[in-house]
Amino acid sequence: MTDAVVSIKDIHKKYGGFGRKVHALRGVSMDVPRGSIFGLLGPNGAGKSTLVKILITAVKRSSGTGTVLGKPIGRKDTLAKVGYLPEHHNLPKHLTGRQVIEFFGAMAKMPRASRRSRADELLDLVRMREWHNKKVGGYSKGMRQRIGIAQALVADPDLVILDEPTDGVDPSGRRDIRLVLQQMRDEGRTVFINSHLLGELEQVCDAVAIMHKGRVVSLGTIEQLTEGMLRYEIEIEGELDAAGATFGRALPEALGKGQSAGPSPTAELAPPTDAGLAKRVGLRGELATGESVEVHGNRLWIGTTEAATIQPVLDAIRAKGGVIREVHKHRPSLEDLFMQAVEDDDSPGAARASSRGQGGRP
Amino acid sequence: MIIQTMALLVDAYRELCAKRLFWITMILNSLVVVVFAMVSINENGMKFLIWQMPADFAGVTITSETMPPGLLYRTMFAALAVPWWLRWVAVILGLISTAGMIPDLIQGGTIESVLSRPIGRIRLLLTKFVGGLLFMTLQVFVFSLLVFLVIGIRGKSWAPEVFLAVPIVVTMFSYLFAVCVLIGLLTRSTIAALLLTAVVWAAIILVNAGDLFSVSIHENIKAELRLEQAKVDRRERNATLAILGERNAEREAEGLEPLEALDPAPTSSELEARDIRLPVTKLRVRELEASESIASRWRRVIYFVKAVLPKTGETIALLGRWTIDEEEFARLGAPPPSDDRQRVAQEGSEATAEEFDNRPLWWVLGTSFAFVSVVLGIAALIFRRRDF
Repeated sequence: MTDAVVSIKDIHKKYGGFGRKVHALRGVSMDVPRGSIFGLLGPNGAGKSTLVKILITAVKRSSGTGTVLGKPIGRKDTLAKVGYLPEHHNLPKHLTGRQVIEFFGAMAKMPRASRRSRADELLDLVRMREWHNKKVGGYSKGMRQRIGIAQALVADPDLVILDEPTDGVDPSGRRDIRLVLQQMRDEGRTVFINSHLLGELEQVCDAVAIMHKGRVVSLGTIEQLTEGMLRYEIEIEGELDAAGATFGRALPEALGKGQSAGPSPTAELAPPTDAGLAKRVGLRGELATGESVEVHGNRLWIGTTEAATIQPVLDAIRAKGGVIREVHKHRPSLEDLFMQAVEDDDSPGAARASSRGQGGRP
Repeated sequence: MIIQTMALLVDAYRELCAKRLFWITMILNSLVVVVFAMVSINENGMKFLIWQMPADFAGVTITSETMPPGLLYRTMFAALAVPWWLRWVAVILGLISTAGMIPDLIQGGTIESVLSRPIGRIRLLLTKFVGGLLFMTLQVFVFSLLVFLVIGIRGKSWAPEVFLAVPIVVTMFSYLFAVCVLIGLLTRSTIAALLLTAVVWAAIILVNAGDLFSVSIHENIKAELRLEQAKVDRRERNATLAILGERNAEREAEGLEPLEALDPAPTSSELEARDIRLPVTKLRVRELEASESIASRWRRVIYFVKAVLPKTGETIALLGRWTIDEEEFARLGAPPPSDDRQRVAQEGSEATAEEFDNRPLWWVLGTSFAFVSVVLGIAALIFRRRDF
């Protein structure tokens, strides 16, 4: 690690006591590269909020080390260059939008003149100029979210931590927020986002960490995480049974090393599914060149990104009378990655598997 | 640091201004001052608007000749407006208005935003505490300003000392608000903070009442003891003189010189034989001595218990000490007591008042501030260590 804005190592957090201890974080390590948009994913109770709160000093870690902006976690002076928007934030309802921004600017020790001019800039940025003198109590949720983002940015932070920034925001507002995030990255800021909206994150994140049960189970850039998961998908026409039969006839020819110990293709073909990589049932095998092959209903997945590799398979299918409807290169979505990481972690032997995420560096 | 502190205080002010109760309290305060201004004094006594009122207090007739209007208003301010209105109603309204300050601060979504800024937790808590005191400061300042104008215009006497009510009432409020802050922090609930602060306040009032009661009882017993002891002394002296008179009559009959004094002095039994009420009076003295010993012990116990609690009553009473000139009152000339019972009651009452008036400032304020420091210290420790 050379230029990490957030660098943490083996962070543990235990809550409670007297037999009610909750181990919220179990040795979390990660580096967040400078100038990136970093997504933190995980199901409820994964420990995301605890991790974020440790970074902003609202929660004290039980053990572990780390730095934020190059200084040890917990240093208050560092926080002058950190902007934060909590999930379910309660902005002071007795203040106007402008006053909220200026108040948090003052809390970051900004002089009055700077606060005023920065508030003007941010009101324009989040498109709240028209409402700046109205009390926050009268704002819609989306408007409050915009002001929340503006207050997080008021001190011109190097690191912006946003917890569910698009929560409650309409599609147009979400697009605006996405643009703001990209603008922040372009300005050299690092954005750390905790969100459930995987589609939103996928559009903006450079790297993600997936947390589950207090551990990082997957960590890296989206390219890194999808490496080895890119595939070609071949879909043929026909009913399931017929498609299964076609594959059953074609595959033994296509597979160099023979079928796996899976069930007969005609006997137990799985129904078509959109559930993603987790539903791997049916035929499995490997091409002579080592790429994996799986049958999913009337679709065939081939673990390669090389068009040349799939040509013998296409030939074999056609030779056995199969009509190819579609061939496309498939890239897993963030949701696919998320589900796979979480389900892998829940599977037996997860402790071993999860260790790949522990020391990972995007 | 100053920027953050100012921002928090300005925010507290804005939060107060946004509360309806702040303005309701302000209006009520103003109404009380209007009522205050409607009272006047003339040569026949006191008047409320156009209605003449009886003005005999403890046997003293109050008129413009015995009590100048300026003194009347200052007395009403120090003896009625502050101890009754500001000490009770304004403080209760103040607690209701500010009890939610800490629970609101530490609720999810708010506290993280503030803690994510470069501000120390202890400073944040203490600044919030001071922000809470702002409510009472503003209320009492406006109240005192209006009273100052009334005394000046109606009483023809400018009395800037009424502004002492601001620090005094705010100090008294701070004792309770510190408790409210601690409970709010522990329970995260406005209602719980308010109710438990009321319970603590009730306990303080109970101890204060116990203190007043024990001092009053003790001083009354002491006064009665002095009176009964004086009776015993007088009866013994009279009995001795009677015996001396008898002896001298016998010596005169024998042609001897009269004695100046009895030597040896007559015994108790001789004296008691001479004055048959002397044993009863002595018995009463012994009973009073035993009672005095018990009352004294209780008084000390309650005093020590009270030493660790804030002195709400004495703090408010400081205003009377500093704004009312006792000599001005002395000129009113209260009638002397007519019998022993009244004498004992008056002596006891005066001694009790003197005891409270003579309690040193360091004890009244010092031990109260120590209480506030301990309570806020515990709150700060919890706030500093807690995960939000």
